[in-house]
Amino acid sequence: MTATTTQLAAPAIRRPRTVLVGTMFASGAALMAYFGVLAVYVSERAAARDAGEEWFAEGVIELGPSGWIFWTLVLAAFTVQWAVQAIRNDDRPNAYIALALTGMFGAAVFNQLWFIINDTGFALAGTQGQFLFFVMTGTYIVFLIGAVVFLALTTMRALFGQFGPSQDDGVAAAAMFWHAVSVMYWVTWIAIFVTK
Amino acid sequence: MTMTESPPSEAAESSAAPLPAVGGLYDWLTTSDHKAIGRIWLRFGALSLLFFSVIGVLISFERLDADAIDLFGGVNSYFQMWSLYRFGIVLMVAIPLFVGLATTIAPMQVGSTNIAFPRAALAAAWGYVLGSLITIISVLAGGGWGALDGVSGDEADAIRLTLLGTGMVMVSIILGTICVVTTVVSLRTSGMGLTKVPLFAWSMFVAGSVWVLTLPVAIANIAILYIDLSGGAGLFVGAPNPSFDVYAQLAWILDQPAVYAAAVPVLGIAGSIIPVVAKGRQVSHEAMMILVGLAGLLAIGGWSQPFFGDERDTLVYIAFGVAAMVPVLASVGGNGATLVSGEAPVGIPPAHMIGALGSMLLFLAATAAGALRVIDPLDLIGTTADTGVLNLVALAAILGSLGGWWFWAPKTDGRLFSGIQGLGAMTLLLLGGVLLGATDVIAGFVDTPDVLLASADDSLGDAMIVLSMIGSIVVLLGVLGALGAITLAYVKPGEADNDPWGGHTLEWATATPPPAGNFAEPPARVRSEAPLLDETPGDEGGES
Repeated sequence: MTATTTQLAAPAIRRPRTVLVGTMFASGAALMAYFGVLAVYVSERAAARDAGEEWFAEGVIELGPSGWIFWTLVLAAFTVQWAVQAIRNDDRPNAYIALALTGMFGAAVFNQLWFIINDTGFALAGTQGQFLFFVMTGTYIVFLIGAVVFLALTTMRALFGQFGPSQDDGVAAAAMFWHAVSVMYWVTWIAIFVTK
Repeated sequence: MTMTESPPSEAAESSAAPLPAVGGLYDWLTTSDHKAIGRIWLRFGALSLLFFSVIGVLISFERLDADAIDLFGGVNSYFQMWSLYRFGIVLMVAIPLFVGLATTIAPMQVGSTNIAFPRAALAAAWGYVLGSLITIISVLAGGGWGALDGVSGDEADAIRLTLLGTGMVMVSIILGTICVVTTVVSLRTSGMGLTKVPLFAWSMFVAGSVWVLTLPVAIANIAILYIDLSGGAGLFVGAPNPSFDVYAQLAWILDQPAVYAAAVPVLGIAGSIIPVVAKGRQVSHEAMMILVGLAGLLAIGGWSQPFFGDERDTLVYIAFGVAAMVPVLASVGGNGATLVSGEAPVGIPPAHMIGALGSMLLFLAATAAGALRVIDPLDLIGTTADTGVLNLVALAAILGSLGGWWFWAPKTDGRLFSGIQGLGAMTLLLLGGVLLGATDVIAGFVDTPDVLLASADDSLGDAMIVLSMIGSIVVLLGVLGALGAITLAYVKPGEADNDPWGGHTLEWATATPPPAGNFAEPPARVRSEAPLLDETPGDEGGES
């Protein structure tokens, strides 16, 4: 009778991307929460149209500013991957520049969203469409702030010397959440600003 | 060939030693030991179980004479308690007990020294405690999930607080679950591929993934309702005041198919306990894994919420309702085959065996009742059959988690719980669960409404409501028995071996109670789903 715990001790395992796996699940949860709101919006809009009601007056939601956000997030998707690749190459100056640029794009998206909210002149206690528009943009801003904070923490940790070619999962995790937040907007853009 | 049916007790000394020191409040607020974090979930879950069992009995008494709602003092209070019971028994009892058990056991099962993100796991545990307290207190202050008979301004504030508390509980469950599933995915020991993960850890991975993807949709619903109540025009909550609409928009998580996710870990607990009792391997581990996965897939239910219209008469809803029974039935069959093919001792079964078998049968009964419920001509939706399915699922989860707690008590609490008391408690819970669930389902056949505000017009319905009341009392007695046995184990702790049952998985290779870091040395490379039954390398020429 031999105990299995005492035989042939296993070699130490390099923990495979725990932060990345955890972030993957967290991103999934965030996407489901956001798409939960978006689905209610789309569903209520379809119901209103079926009932012959007007959802928004013509021209209230403009494609231009929302398109700028779309392209800003496309640029940010590249810069955040640039940061991941730079960390993998142990190219810290490039990583810092890329992380800073991504954070700046995040601030720009926030600014543009704020402009859109003010530009529409919607009221929270207005119509169903206006209310849901507020809830959706508000929810998106919460996730955007979350992504920027995650990125800022990652940048600070990188500045203090963490991460490198053998341990890039912190930056990769921040990038993954960033991409999830970008996907939220891209789907929203098509569902709301393009199809109106 | 050398088999290791007996515990590898060399790993650590058998003992009735005290649990690793987590003493004062500061320790409980700052611990990063997954066993201590799991105990927060388990103990508060047990207290919540007692509280909601009492609420269940009170509701069943009120239903006896629904014409005169006098026990709670009014229609709104009755509705608040009715909805509190439903949300509480699932979100504050059933799921948290599983999260607690998984936080404690799953890392050891996969050979990890700790849970992934222990500080997040701790925040989740305390978030659950705080969120539950906020929810319960706000309901007692006149809140709840809407109202049937109008509300005052203060009550509307309390309703907002209830929504906040519910959301907090859900976020905590998601956070705690992410820690568990990440542990299962990325902290497995050497050689343990996904197909070799023990069934309980696997079932938590499946159920946890479903919770992580489903509960955020409910949180989105809560956000819409909360904002609508706070500054909106009340378009979604039943303008101008919160009404039944608030409950109706969220009730899909207490309805099939989503509610089944709360009981999926039952299949994993049974799949971990039954082979040990049978003293043999699971007949087909991979097949059981697939069945658990299928049960999880069929419990994804965010699409069935009323925001998207009434989905309950669609083909998809009916298909989900009927199909959900298949993996549960097949799991019962698989575990039955394991039991028959093994060498289970004849005689009185241990308490954890009753818990494992009973919970599977209750889950099977729940899915069978759910399959009947979706058959349109039977017209069961909106009747007490809704509560019947919910109670069967909740009791399956509670019985399963208590069975698991009894089984793993040496690892969770560092001591054995009384087998005789456990046997009595589990039997009462099983009988109470059957009585509570089946009577409500039968009452549904005579169109007894789910929110009972007037006495049933049918003698069969009246009789079932009386039996349901008896069932709720039996459940309460079972809960009192179980909690009494756990308390007694702390008052008079007995000796506990490292592996009192002859377990198959790595948690039984740790000491009792497990030390910080769990394992005295890294576990050997795993070669099957039952590493403690595997041959020892180099002993192939030995006895077979």
